[in-house]
This record gives sequence, structure tokens and C-alpha cells, in this order.
Amino acid sequence: MIQLTATPLSALDDEPMHIRFTGLTPFQIVFLQASLEDERRNMFHSYVYYKANEVGEVNLKQAASLGGDYVGVQPMGLFWSLKSEKVGIKLFKRDVMNSPFQVQLKLCDPAVLLTHIVSTPPIVCLTLERWYVAPGVTRTQGKEGHIRGVLFIPPREGHFPGVIDLFGILSGLMESWASLLASRGSAALALAYCNYEDLPPKLEKLDLEYFEEAVNFLLRHPKILGPGIGIVSISRGAEIGLSMAIHLKQVTATVLINGPNFIIDVPHVYHDQISQTLGFSPQYSSISNLGFIKLQNIFEENKNNANKAAFLPIEKAQGFPFIVGEEDKNVNSKAHAQQATERLKRHGKKNWTLQSYPGAGHLIEPPHSPLCCGSNVPSFHIAMYWRGEVIPHGATQEHSWKEIQKFLRKHLIPVVTSRF
Amino acid sequence: MFQLTATPASALADEPVHIRVMGLAPLQVVTLMASLKDEKGNLFQSRAFYRANEAGELDLEQDPALGGDFVGVHPMGLFWSLKPEKPFGGLLKLEVMNSPFWITLDLYDSVYLQKSGVVQPRASLELQRWFSSPGVQRLMIREGRVRGALFLPPGEGPFPGIIDLFGGIGGLLEYRAGLLAAHGFAALALAYFAYDDLPNQLQEVDLDYFEEAANLLLAHPKIQKPGIGVISVSKGAEIGLAMACYLKQVVATVCINGSNAIFEVPLRYRDLVLTPIPSFLERMEVNASGAVRLRHCMGDPRDELNQQSVLPIEKSQGQILFIIGEDDECLNSRDYAEQALGQLQSHGRSNGRMLLYPGAGHLIEPPYGPLCYGSRTRGFPLPLLWGGDPVAHAAAQEHAWREILKFFRQHLVGSRSKL
Repeated sequence: MIQLTATPLSALDDEPMHIRFTGLTPFQIVFLQASLEDERRNMFHSYVYYKANEVGEVNLKQAASLGGDYVGVQPMGLFWSLKSEKVGIKLFKRDVMNSPFQVQLKLCDPAVLLTHIVSTPPIVCLTLERWYVAPGVTRTQGKEGHIRGVLFIPPREGHFPGVIDLFGILSGLMESWASLLASRGSAALALAYCNYEDLPPKLEKLDLEYFEEAVNFLLRHPKILGPGIGIVSISRGAEIGLSMAIHLKQVTATVLINGPNFIIDVPHVYHDQISQTLGFSPQYSSISNLGFIKLQNIFEENKNNANKAAFLPIEKAQGFPFIVGEEDKNVNSKAHAQQATERLKRHGKKNWTLQSYPGAGHLIEPPHSPLCCGSNVPSFHIAMYWRGEVIPHGATQEHSWKEIQKFLRKHLIPVVTSRF
Repeated sequence: MFQLTATPASALADEPVHIRVMGLAPLQVVTLMASLKDEKGNLFQSRAFYRANEAGELDLEQDPALGGDFVGVHPMGLFWSLKPEKPFGGLLKLEVMNSPFWITLDLYDSVYLQKSGVVQPRASLELQRWFSSPGVQRLMIREGRVRGALFLPPGEGPFPGIIDLFGGIGGLLEYRAGLLAAHGFAALALAYFAYDDLPNQLQEVDLDYFEEAANLLLAHPKIQKPGIGVISVSKGAEIGLAMACYLKQVVATVCINGSNAIFEVPLRYRDLVLTPIPSFLERMEVNASGAVRLRHCMGDPRDELNQQSVLPIEKSQGQILFIIGEDDECLNSRDYAEQALGQLQSHGRSNGRMLLYPGAGHLIEPPYGPLCYGSRTRGFPLPLLWGGDPVAHAAAQEHAWREILKFFRQHLVGSRSKL
């Protein structure tokens, strides 16, 4: 009798699952499909072929796939290679507290690909749950003063390091990172800065006092450790993260993922100082095979002609790592990161780390998040190209997530004998 | 004085267009956008960003695009970089005689990144791209088992005859035959499955059917005798090569990205049956976009077990031209062509040659046809990846078409006709 098992059946999204088949005929070729329906009824699928061993078993921790969405031994490959049925849709969990993503695993007859996958019943089926929050994590609307965001506090009593989570241009707020960070022991504030609740729909200026208010809000919280706050930031959020690390002494650990080392087009304001912007030349943007827009060349001319003040004085910030996706066709982050680290070296700074991941794309997310090669972004009329190669991107996310947790613990927990 | 011109405004689809702008501000950055709606209402678009010179002029034959769908000097770039609004849609002209593709060329005064129609362009032109020319005649063919459409050039003839075969898409595609007729060839677009009363699915390749079609063509009063040509792509090219091997009537064959052996379904000719080499679908690769690369799924014709499936190219009597895209993601077309040519050589024959195009993909079409990155196709639930780098693929299409016409003129045209 053919059996399909997964351990655990229900897990946090950054946890691996061990998937196995038994009861097949020896060396039988099987076709496995994973499907997920998001909260807006978009379907995501991944497909893979395996060959059973001499006792009719497939153990995804050991077996190499023959083909499909990935080749080789990839125990979590079915998850991070999920692809949207409709091109240009990114997987995004909106309600992180009350429901998981359900992933349906189906074992099918290999011939089914030549007919119709949907109408043929699978041989065996299993539903797995991927949660973005651990039991006991609390979620509160962070709506004090000017701040708009969502705060997640880890379960149980205690004091936890505080982290602010900053994203690029989105509509609404992405809570899944913050909820996962809280599930792993950091109090995390997913902080919006535009296009959310009563915040301005478009970014005209970035007032660092707003972000300082958020930092102080966290430090005042009875369950949050001081004296420093961490930042996890990506893309445009990393431009802000870097600025915060430079100007705000309370920021003691900053993670910058695929961000620029300069101020793009919206000036940063802090008290009376208004920063310069680099600007960009959209005529150098290019369009990918599927019609997604690639922005990587739009800064070159501006960088060469720019006022030096548009570049962020990174040497004034406290310690932080960079995380870079080398395939990143969106922001050319590798070049920006290299410029930033050269500047650090020139100023004799040693408290930084650069991590380059060949094959990774722009959207480096928590582990097992599917690679999205391009998706629609609000206020842009053409979908953005995020690039990345599926397998290296998956490996990057697993590695970088562990490194981020390690880094935050190291710099935010003052006493060595803390318990996690 | 401001002017946007494109000449000729109405032309055969394989003819180039010269686009120019005058009266812009010096060094002004502009956007040129091309839009096309196919016969099913699907929108295709392309755009490029240019900088005018000091005199406010732009000439696409000399000036490089700075960005957009392509970079550099590509006078026809806006045509071959057209992309479907709905990803994985392919552009195909179905009705060939009475309507062209209409392409709208818009000029915007700055870098324009939005969909067309949101802002008014500064100027707009309509261009017509035709797949037949005045005087070309189209005859529905429904004789015996043969199903297709015959395109005759204007005049008395007789004209060299060519059978036109497409691949696994099935049905009947006429646009290439229409273009061939505009160039003086009598071209029979031949369907072989999923059309009219032909089988819905390709269960076997019945070469007798194709021989019937060849004889039918040769019997037509306006067709030159004694031999015809074949132009074929993909699965059609496997059939085209089989026709070259077994049918004396075929004297010049163009095989675009096909195989040298029988795959998937058997080939039957009189009492001969060639069993197919199986495919291994489990070797398919889904790329980051969700399209599937099939090139590693086919068995190897060099395998000892597969020898009975290899086409006996040494039996071919006419000339064979292999047109190969090195970046073909659907088939190992280069390998197959090299094996076929090697087989000819080992039998002391020299009636075959290959044109290899680095950077070109599977779907090598007539010039200026947009590169189709991947498309949904009959019989497969996921889009298939075809491969090709846009610039190299476009150049390959231009070069290959000229070579194909030259090849047919050289090997099909008798002393009587003037081409």
C-alpha cells in the first residue's frame, strides 16, 4: 500500500519537513505535485519526478529528483519552487495569526502530465500546514503617536531583543517576517512608512524622526530588552535602514538586504538636515523576456555625476552585515555593497560583514519562500524583475535566515546567559 | 518641424521599416512604443528609449536604443521585441490573404513606462505588415486525404512548389506559405493533425499522406516538375527529413530545429514501420518563469537500442539544409543535425549542410517575428520554453530567411522561370 508521510505535518514556515513515500514498486518513477492556494485564490504549483529505490521508497532527504522544478537532493524543494499559475503574482501571507498556508502534496501517475493534472485523481494525497507564527506569539497594532505598524512579541515571560522590519515599496504591510522573527525569539515591529492606513500614499520625503519614534517606542516596551534595537531591512527599506544606522545611536545592529548605498530619489530629513538624492535615469531600464522591468542600470550615469552627499556615510554607523543577492537584476546591489564596503575600509572600519550569494535574486526572504522572478508592484506600471535562480536562491534563504538570527542575538542580547 | 515617419507604412512582414523622427528638442529622451492586437484580441507591445541628436533628430537605422526592450542599434527592434501582455502567448497570423497585422507606433516625449493609452502620445502612426502580396492566390485544398491551403504567386507560372510543415502545434498555419508565394514560390501549407477531418492527436506519421500531398502538388498545372521543396520546423522538420529520405519527389528540404530520428510516435511508409525513440518526461526542467525545458527529455539517437528509429538520410536524393538555433531549449537540434550530417559523410554523400546560429532558439520564424520566449502549446499543461537571446535570434531569422530563399531558388528553379 502506497503511503505518503511528512514530519511534522504542521510547522513554522522556516522549519523543514521530512517527506517520504513507501509501498511503491522498486524503481518506480513517480510524479509529485505540491499545490497551494493563497488568500486571494491564486494557485501555486510545483512538480517533481523521483525514482523509488530497490525497496520501493522515496526519502526526500536522500533521493535526488530526476527532473521537474528542481534536480538533485532538495528536501524542501517542493516548497521553495512553488510557482504562481498566473505569471507575476508573488506569494504573500496576509493573515499571519489565524491561518497557515495549506500545501497539498499529491503523488500522481507520471503519465498524468500528458493529459490533465487537475482532473486525474492522485494516487495519494497529504495536506501540510505552514504557519507564520508560533503558538503564544502576540500581535498588537503598533499605533502610537505617528507610528503605523504591527508588533509581534514572542511567547512566555521575559525580555526580548527588539527588531524593526523594513520593506520596499509594497501595498499594505508585510507581517510575515516580523511574525517569524517573534516566533524565533525577537520582538519585531513590522513598520510601514507609506501606503498604509493614514500614511501618505506616495513617498515625498523620509522623515527619520518617524523612524526614531518607532525605535523609542520599542525601547519603552516593558518586554523589550535594551539598550539597542536591531533592523532587518530589504531593498528600499535597506536605504532607510542604513540611514537609521547612521543617525540613530539606539540602532546597534542592522541587516541590509539588497539595498543601495545612496539615497535614491526621496530625500531623508532628520531635524534640520535634508539629504541629497542621487536620482536615476529611467531611460536605461530594460525589459526582461517576460516583460518585467529591470532597473539595474538606471543609477550608473547618476553615480558618476552625483554629488558625493547623496551617498550614505556608512562609516558613521554601528556594526552590521550586508546580505547581497548576486544575481540581483533589480538594484545591482552587489555593486552598491562593494562601494559601501570600500568606503568602510577607507575609514578603517572593521565592524561589518558582506555576504554574497551567487544565483540569489532580489527578494531574499525567510527559508522555503518560493522564488518569485517578477511581480507587480504598486505605483509601477510594469511588473518588476526580481530574478534569481531557483536552487541557489532557496539555499541562500536558508543560510541567510540562520545568519540573521545569529547576528541579531550576538548584537542585541547584552548578557551571554540568555535563554532561547 | 516635428515629424514621425516610418517607411514603408505597408509592406510584407519580412521587409524592414525605416523609422525616423524630426523636430525634437536637442538631446531629448523619447520613447517609441509599438503595439499590436492579434486576431484574438491579445495585445503585444514593445518599447525603446532613445536620445535625439543635437539637431533634434532620431534615425533608428543609426541611433542606439538606451534601454527598454532592447539596447543598441536595431532598426527593427520594436518589431522583434514585441511581447504579449498575457505571458506565454505566441503571436500567429491566422488569416493571411485579406488582412495585415496592424502595428501602432507611438512616440512619447519622455521615458514612458506605463501601459499604452494612459497618456496621449505625442505622435502615432499605423503600419501594416502583410503575409501575402497583391496577386497571390489562395486555394483551399481538400482532395483525397490532403488538407491544406495552396498559395500561388501571380502570373502564369509554372512555379517551383514547396510544402510547408509546422510542428506539434497542429492545425494549419499559413503565414509562411503566404510569404513564400509573395517571393515567387507555389507553397502548400499542409496540415497533418488537429485540423478538419484529420486525426485530433498525432498517433503516427503516415508518410503516404505526405507523398499524396507531394504528388497532388506536382500534378497542379502551375507547379514546376519534376521535384518539389519542403520547408519544415520542429516536429514538422522530423517529417520533412523523412520525406527527403524516402520520397524521390522531394529535391530540396529545409529542416529548422528538427530531429534526425523518429520520436514519440511511429513513422509508417508503405510496409515500412520505424518505431519511435521514447521520451523521458521525468527529465523535464521547469525554469524560474514556470516554463518547461524539454531538451533533455528525448532519448539519444546514438544509443544502440535506438538505431531502428534513425532516419536513413543516406537514402536522400535531394539537397538538405539544416537551420539550427544553438539555444534551442526544446530539442538538441544541433546534435541531431550534426549526427545526420555525419551519417551522410560516412556514406560518402555531401548533399547536406547546416547553418548554426548561436543565441537563436527553437522557433526560428521569418524575419522580424517576435521572439517567443515560451508559450502554451497543445497537449501540455505548462508553457514550453523555446529559448533564444532576443538580439541573436532576430539576426538569425533575417539571415536564415535569405539563405532559405536562396537555397530554394538554387535547387528548385528550372531554367524557364524568372526569379
